[in-house]
Amino acid sequence: MNKELEHSFVTQLQENQNIVHKICRLYTNDSDSHNDLFQEITIQLWKAFPKFRGDSKFSTWMYRVALNTAITLYRKSKRTINTQDYEGVSFKIASEPYDDTEEKQLKLMYSAVKDLNDIDKALVFLYLEDKNYREISETLGITEVNARVKMNRIKEKLRTVLNP
Amino acid sequence: MDELDILKKKWQQQEETLPQLSYKDIYKMILKKSSSIVKWIFYISIAEIVLWTVLSFFVPESSKQINEKMGLDGVFLAFNIINYLIFIGFIILFYRNYIKIKVTDSIKELMQNIIKTRKTVKYFVIYSVSTSALLLIGTNIYYYFNQHQLFTLIDKYLQQNPNMTEEEFLQIFFIIQVVLGLIVIGIMLLFYRIVYGILLRRLHNNYKELEKIEM
Repeated sequence: MNKELEHSFVTQLQENQNIVHKICRLYTNDSDSHNDLFQEITIQLWKAFPKFRGDSKFSTWMYRVALNTAITLYRKSKRTINTQDYEGVSFKIASEPYDDTEEKQLKLMYSAVKDLNDIDKALVFLYLEDKNYREISETLGITEVNARVKMNRIKEKLRTVLNP
Repeated sequence: MDELDILKKKWQQQEETLPQLSYKDIYKMILKKSSSIVKWIFYISIAEIVLWTVLSFFVPESSKQINEKMGLDGVFLAFNIINYLIFIGFIILFYRNYIKIKVTDSIKELMQNIIKTRKTVKYFVIYSVSTSALLLIGTNIYYYFNQHQLFTLIDKYLQQNPNMTEEEFLQIFFIIQVVLGLIVIGIMLLFYRIVYGILLRRLHNNYKELEKIEM
């Protein structure tokens, strides 16, 4: 029984690991802390897994546990605070011809998102993941109206960063 | 299309650059132990409860006998019974709050539950410190008004006779009592600064951000 549970969990997490990696990329600044956070999220997911009933999609359930871990449960190690040396971030897609100014703007945009506070980052993350406002508000525990208002404010803020 | 929507388009294309872990990598991870803040809070809280419970047991026999002779044993017994009932109440509350912490709650609920658990322990410690302080002050006032009786009793229990007059001895006795009391309170305050500073600053900040959204 336990082996079955383990197998089912690891398989599903492996299939959906991109979600966790994206959160780690947003909330950490180097690959060591990325791995640390991934590890902690995996443990939290595994601990909560026996109660996962499958009435929601595995991925939907993952968003909540993973964000909760990144924002609330995970303790940033001291050595990684205030460093901005993450190397893996690139939006370059090899097969596409590349527009340099667009690339620059994206880099700027991405670093602006990374500079947001933990909560705003979660909002933007869910938005980028194409979640609707109902899901965003439920994950954060705020009302849908307030989620919209806040999202508009963040957009405004990001706009001023890009077009000073 | 606003800037964020451009990022959204690209966001979904970043997947090729993400690390990919194997089945084995992930399997190894589930065998490891969590080091989450909840775990730390749980351990620290248990340590605080144990520490204060043990401290209240830690009264030297001679001191008990002195208090008995001073006629304080009845008051102390009543105090202890009430104290332990309140301790048990706090432990039940702490446990109930702790099991309410669920990683599958919304971010806000999770934060609220952690803060609530921490608050229970904070009140427990405030209760312990203030009752200890009150008891210390009360006993010393009582001692002060019965100094002569106290001196003769302590004199009897001390193996070696300190070459001090009654007045000198009592002066030193009360100074030691005050200094010890202040040291204990100082340690508690320091402990709280450390616990709140390191463990909970980020959580409190994030909780404030969430509350701001709802205002």
